[in-house]
Amino acid sequence: MIEFQHMAAALYLAAGVGAILGLVLPAPRVLRGACWGLGLGALAQAAAFATLHRLDSTPALTDLGQSIAVMTWLGVLFTLALLYRYRLPGFVPPLAFAGFLSAFGATFTSPELAGSGDVVGSIPHAHVLLASAGFASLGIAGLAGTFFLVEHRSLKRRRSLAGRRSLPLPSLESLDQVNRIALVLGFPLLTLGVLTGSLWLDARSGQLFSGSLHEASTLIAWTIYLGLVVARFAGRQGSRQAAASAVAGFAFLLFAVLGVGLVS
Amino acid sequence: MKLLLLGMNHRTAPVEVRERFAVVDPSPLLRKLIDRPEIEEAVLISTCNRVEIIVMTENLDAAQHVLFDFFGRELTAGDFPVGGASGVSLTELTYLRRGRKAVEHVFRVASAIDSMVVGEPQILGQVKDAYRDATEVGACGPVLSRLFQRAFATAKRVKNETGIAERPVSVARVAVDLAKQIFEGLEDKSALLIGAGEMIETALVALDDHGLGVRRIANRTTAHAEALAERFGGSAHGLDELDALLPKTDVVLSCVGGDHPILTRDRVEAALVHREGRPLFLIDIGVPRNIEPAVHEIDSAYLYDLDDLQRVAAANEEERQRESERAERIVLEEREHFDGWLVALQAVPTIRDLRRRSEDIRQGELERYAGRMGLDEDQHEALDKLTLGIVNKIMHAPISRLRDETDREMGLARLEEARSLFGLDEEPSLSRVRGGADDDEGESEGVAEDSAGADSDAEIDS
Repeated sequence: MIEFQHMAAALYLAAGVGAILGLVLPAPRVLRGACWGLGLGALAQAAAFATLHRLDSTPALTDLGQSIAVMTWLGVLFTLALLYRYRLPGFVPPLAFAGFLSAFGATFTSPELAGSGDVVGSIPHAHVLLASAGFASLGIAGLAGTFFLVEHRSLKRRRSLAGRRSLPLPSLESLDQVNRIALVLGFPLLTLGVLTGSLWLDARSGQLFSGSLHEASTLIAWTIYLGLVVARFAGRQGSRQAAASAVAGFAFLLFAVLGVGLVS
Repeated sequence: MKLLLLGMNHRTAPVEVRERFAVVDPSPLLRKLIDRPEIEEAVLISTCNRVEIIVMTENLDAAQHVLFDFFGRELTAGDFPVGGASGVSLTELTYLRRGRKAVEHVFRVASAIDSMVVGEPQILGQVKDAYRDATEVGACGPVLSRLFQRAFATAKRVKNETGIAERPVSVARVAVDLAKQIFEGLEDKSALLIGAGEMIETALVALDDHGLGVRRIANRTTAHAEALAERFGGSAHGLDELDALLPKTDVVLSCVGGDHPILTRDRVEAALVHREGRPLFLIDIGVPRNIEPAVHEIDSAYLYDLDDLQRVAAANEEERQRESERAERIVLEEREHFDGWLVALQAVPTIRDLRRRSEDIRQGELERYAGRMGLDEDQHEALDKLTLGIVNKIMHAPISRLRDETDREMGLARLEEARSLFGLDEEPSLSRVRGGADDDEGESEGVAEDSAGADSDAEIDS
């Protein structure tokens, strides 16, 4: 399992470096190779997850390191699916480096944090998987939003167009579509993640909401996304506002999931 | 074995002269050209910006005369005779390149460094066509074949290793590139063209290449819009329909006369309400401008005027010029490789003569002493092998040096030295007395193979 995690980390790292080189030079072949590297990294990470049970002490999926690894893995899979349809090579470096860090980080946390403790039944695992998938999807929406804002700024500042290298940048239209798809997919998953989280808490402590910082901030993030989905699909929001909202929403979600742990 | 190129291009002759020399079907002309004893191989390149003939010859001066005569008489069917019946001398309108300069020129042309628009992609296809035509009529022999194969390889290197062809330099291409930064594809997009003048017509031609789905042409005089719509496809509208058309439009191209902007910020904003945030790309090439500049301040509207597009095109052209310096270095490198191959090829007759001379001497001496010594068959065979081994070992180093030299000057100097040192030009009849025509041919092929092998090595090393 550890070997597969190492392999995944190495492949992700190579894909990230290759993608940056491919974008900067620009070298389409190197970029294509980086996409393949990302795919192979995801494959190696899948093998690592599949062989988790072979460890002497199977790590709990609810362990933060493991759940982050699952999140980035799902994010990579989502990106790979999008790469078939859209020109999104710019997504490869951040995803590859996130994949590298998570796969590498998981090798340190997995064997030691073995005990499943209070993780009994399928609800905690369903919570982790659903929330991770939602997080990954909304992360892609945030990434698409970031790229949209950069590209939008460049097109609005006409002078910066002269002398630009013809990088294979995604079009505004495709970034907006990716943002929309990721939101459509991510919000229900996040909602299910929040619900299963409440059920897990109920099973553990007999209450649906304990008021912890993690729960409170997750609920706020969910509310922001609810507003975003309503505004977006009611046609009250333009592409740029939708992109900015996706970035802000993900920043809050990131804090809710990871930042809270650092603060507390 | 010398290369000579005579040509005329956009720098040396205006279009009204170039069009008189343009060749539609080069095959009959190439046949005529290679029928001339001075010309061994020939390729004729004819595009809208250039007419060039490159030949392989043994006699440069005679070939030069033939080429000028050919240019003046055959290409224009006697319409532009040498001496300048039209008042302009042909020598003033053309350029002549010899040897290495000719090689360099062909490489530069194929790589689009010599083009009017540096880096344009069409020229390589046109050079390939010219090469194919020459090959089909048998005008292209081993030297020009090799030259053109290297020219195509050079063009590929230039394209891959430099950014010479990366950035668009025409206003239309810049606009299309900008559109591609906004939209994923243009096939399912609709364009609204405001105006029906020449610029709009040119834009419609450009749009044809990029397959914009729906086209609507709006003009003050609907009849003009209808005429364009009929020619290029699409629907014709009056300017009073703009408010209804805008929400259904992805790309607006405007070039219509008038003192006031036709599309104001309010008008575009009103249209965007119905577009659910989908972007609107507007190009204003009208002077005075047809679209209020404040439209660009709207989030989903991206407006560019003629100055914006020209600025990008000019910057891209400058960048292409910078990249062309890198391309020139590649051309020089490739020219050196080709020179090396040419020198190796020129070494073939000398190597063949050298081998023949040494073999003649060995056979002569062997026959002379074998008879005197009264050797039996086995002893004769042993002595034959011994002398053959000695001669081969002695000749190996000089032959290798002659064959493997890739520096042109050094190679030619060595060939001359070898011929002088071994007296190869002194007794040419010796081998012919003993050997036959078949023998010559076989030996020549063998040496040629060696030479090709040496060249392959040089290629791999490079």
